[in-house]
Amino acid sequence: MPKLIIDDREIEVPAGTKVIEAAERLGIKIPRFCYHPGLGSVGACRVCAVKFLEGPFKGVQMSCMIDAKDGMVVSTTDEEAVNFRQYVIEWLMLNHPHDCPVCDEGGHCLLQDMTVSGGHGIRRYLGLKRTYHDQYLGPLVQHEMNRCIHCYRCSRFYQEFTGYHDLGVMQIGSRTFFGRYQDGTLESPFAGNLSDICPTGVYTDKPSRFFGRRWDYQRSPSICINCSLGCHTVASGRYREVVRQEARYSEAVNGYFICDRGRYGFFYTSNEERPRQALVDGKEVSYDQAIREAREKLGELIKSTGPDAVACVSSERSSLETQAMLKKICQTKGWQGPHYFLDESMAQKVKSASSRLESGLAVSLRELESADFILVIGADPVNEAPMLALAMRQAQRRGGKIAVIDPRPVSLPFEFHHLNVTPNEVNLCASLLVKTAVDLGAATDLEQPGIEFYQAIPKLETVSSSLQEQIAKVAQELKESKRPIIVCGTETVRQTTPALAADHALLLQATNKQAGLFYLLPGANSFSASLLASEDGSFLETLEGIENGTIKGLILVERDLLLHFHDRQRMELAFEKLELLVVLDYVNSRTQQRAHIFLPTSTLYEAGGIFITQEGRLQVVPRAHLSGTPIAQVSGGNHPPRIYESEIPGGEPRPGWQALAELVHEEPQPDENTTRSSVLNGLSELNPAFATIPAIDELPEDGMRVSSPEESSPRFSLDWIHELERKESPDKSLELVLVNWTFSTEELSQYSPPLMKLEKEAAVFMHVDDATSLGLSDSDKVTILLDRGALEASVSVKENMAPGIIVMPRHRLLEWQKIETLPKFVSHEEIKKVSV
Amino acid sequence: MKSALEAIGALATGFATTFKHLFRKPITEEYPEYRRPLPERSRAVIVLTRDPDGGERCVACYLCSAACPVSCISMQSAEREDGRRYARWFRINFARCIYCGLCEEACPTSAIQLTPYFETCERDILKLVYEKEDLLVEHSGKDKEYNFYKYAGVVTEVGDKGAHEREEKPVKIKSNLP
Ligand code: SF4
Ligand code: SF4
Ligand code: SF4
Ligand code: SF4
Ligand code: FES
Repeated sequence: MPKLIIDDREIEVPAGTKVIEAAERLGIKIPRFCYHPGLGSVGACRVCAVKFLEGPFKGVQMSCMIDAKDGMVVSTTDEEAVNFRQYVIEWLMLNHPHDCPVCDEGGHCLLQDMTVSGGHGIRRYLGLKRTYHDQYLGPLVQHEMNRCIHCYRCSRFYQEFTGYHDLGVMQIGSRTFFGRYQDGTLESPFAGNLSDICPTGVYTDKPSRFFGRRWDYQRSPSICINCSLGCHTVASGRYREVVRQEARYSEAVNGYFICDRGRYGFFYTSNEERPRQALVDGKEVSYDQAIREAREKLGELIKSTGPDAVACVSSERSSLETQAMLKKICQTKGWQGPHYFLDESMAQKVKSASSRLESGLAVSLRELESADFILVIGADPVNEAPMLALAMRQAQRRGGKIAVIDPRPVSLPFEFHHLNVTPNEVNLCASLLVKTAVDLGAATDLEQPGIEFYQAIPKLETVSSSLQEQIAKVAQELKESKRPIIVCGTETVRQTTPALAADHALLLQATNKQAGLFYLLPGANSFSASLLASEDGSFLETLEGIENGTIKGLILVERDLLLHFHDRQRMELAFEKLELLVVLDYVNSRTQQRAHIFLPTSTLYEAGGIFITQEGRLQVVPRAHLSGTPIAQVSGGNHPPRIYESEIPGGEPRPGWQALAELVHEEPQPDENTTRSSVLNGLSELNPAFATIPAIDELPEDGMRVSSPEESSPRFSLDWIHELERKESPDKSLELVLVNWTFSTEELSQYSPPLMKLEKEAAVFMHVDDATSLGLSDSDKVTILLDRGALEASVSVKENMAPGIIVMPRHRLLEWQKIETLPKFVSHEEIKKVSV
Repeated sequence: MKSALEAIGALATGFATTFKHLFRKPITEEYPEYRRPLPERSRAVIVLTRDPDGGERCVACYLCSAACPVSCISMQSAEREDGRRYARWFRINFARCIYCGLCEEACPTSAIQLTPYFETCERDILKLVYEKEDLLVEHSGKDKEYNFYKYAGVVTEVGDKGAHEREEKPVKIKSNLP
């Protein structure tokens, strides 16, 4: 640990720390442009100059390039260094345009700050300025190349950090240009970060273009709920709407960056069509009246048929408070549910994932970056949880090896082994791989069931020889690794896979590897849903109850059944049978439009809330702004109204937990904060796992892990082997695999106009062999006959996927909800080419 | 006796002075019958001026509203079809304005200017809240020359890349020839 003196103050830092960082720990911020803690140093801009007075280096040097060493004495205020920095700024400003007033970076621009603080106030150079033509870079990023100071942050981020190559550097010297070869939408799903990292205004945020200045924004820490990772964000609100979301540093979760789905997925909260008024039979009424009517009708229902004629369904995008409130209500009132998952097998998968995530195995997203081998079982990182791909990229850059076992045409921005086996073979392939890599003789303290589990894994010879070869090759890398981490998805895998992944991680751990385990879950709050989910009864049983008339009332909390359930027609018929459908939500979903009584709820930005990520990390989000129709919508774009009102227009929505409390209690309820605390205080009664969490305001910045409940599901179960035996799909038919895409499938981001522009055409993927035998070629149009009618889509023919399946995205524009039962198989006759 | 004479003398001088003024020309100006022209630099009601070509000068950069010590300026910036940044709405609450002129000093485009006109008394305070249409004038005010977009380097109808003041032709990124 070198000790050095900076500006007369001593500090001790870990070896390898740069002087610029050491100074920052003392609270001294040395100017910088090219240096970024997430990207490292290159020494391109020369603005971080300081003077080294004693130690191994002497004189003016770049503080971002020099490691802190014992005995260094550094001055940041030495006249020579100060002058040096001032000249650097001046020459960086030679070509800088005179356009700060119309630049969106103005107000939080590093170049502005450095110019002013460096003391370069008056322009001395009167020559001509260099200019560039700008490019169209897609709907998210605006390009204004004149402002560039050639720090190379963008190209380093884009190419080295994220692994995409369509943006980079061209030309030389002062003509250096940063952009694409030609106009076009940026390919990287992390492109939005360019607006954050460019120290000037070359890349600015396009959706919030010309909306406001940083100093006017109400900035509030938030998290992203567009997938289960829960990346940290800062929400910028103004005039009652969130206008921009940026990445917020998190040591444990996302580091410095976020993905574009998360960055631009917030538009649902200020959607013009968002219902903000309570409705009874489609008519606008006051909130209290709607609640009174709902309570009366529920009362009548219960009086005539008993409390179990009412069922409740919530979702994975509701906050923990709302989920728990619903659970408590169901318990005390004797109502059915709540169901948080529609698919029982998914509920089981999430349950086994959350219960098998022991603290000895669980790793955070940041820890994943330190893996030297990552085995992905049944996940498609870029499409399911983009930031996972970015973390894997960092592991790969450090020399880590990556293998993905998944039937989909997985594509990642770096080199990896893809074992594109069929959905049925995923478990087997993963097991064979681990078995080949693990030498049981070297295993210390492996329990007996573990040994039996190992021995029960079939022989490598059970699979095709080409797969054997692939497995052997990957297994060798796994064998050599010291810190292997298993990433396991839940979307497309079999019910036994999450437990199997945990068992494999244990096997690896038993052979003295520092193994880790990382799950992906289907939604932002799936983990908490699975901690709360009741053991008895599935959503399907509730649906049957509605169909046979035993359930007459349904309460849906932030859940769009007509979007998520695989059989929309059946759902619609069930809705018709209901005597009472109460919907609480903050989006204008199809389901919301069917409600008899609708109660608007507040979004995450308006109410705050607790979300638990896929690794069990409980994170608290504060409210960013009050509920209310954005001023731009109230005034139709013109100036705000010239009248004063005591109530905020459109301010009716209430937090889900509060609306629920008011719905079931006759007597007036305390305010939302009191209700919230009482729900949170009662959490440990709902699941003992919550007993360990401290008071909400004592939680650390990065949240904390909820330790998995005592009775974790049994280790080393052999269920998956029995599953292997009874697989077999009907002959000559293709299994339909429903998947998610980065854009266009996730529920909340579907309301985002800029992300809609990034959506790819709804296409289904087929293996080249299947396509050939069907007589199809790439981008042919086909109709696929499902149980409830046909579906038209174009075909994308792929080699890097498993044969025997059709990969179908749950695309916003594809009516895939025509399936009677899952898993679904489609025969060759049911796929017809559409001739054009 | 002496002091009594002194007192009478003082009184007489006083009256004499007053009496003399009866025959002088008065210097009081009768307001509102007479409205004295104020110097251009006096600070009262604020206007939004136009550039010499007639375009709206204000680019809605929010600098005036940031500089205003009483926070009486609010606006919403937006992008016009031709790429110009402009104020979709712009509001000054003159009931709050202290006519300090800091907004004018902060303005990088010479758009916002204080004028000598000060007669804005109203019984209804809301009438002192001026919107953009009340503020926008048809002239350039005190600065007759400046057109921000001639220097800014961004593409608008005022000029393409390389066509503004003191600019080189744009770099050709796909050729090494100058
Ligand atoms: S575009 Fe921005 S990030 Fe890239 S080199 Fe120029 S100033 Fe740096
Ligand atoms: S990876 Fe997931 S949580 Fe993170 S920003 Fe993207 S969508 Fe949001
Ligand atoms: S004159 Fe002063 S108080 Fe009035 S708007 Fe300008 S900055 Fe604000
Ligand atoms: S400072 Fe000038 S250009 Fe900027 S918003 Fe105010 S009036 Fe408009
Ligand atoms: S920050 Fe050190 S050279 Fe750029």
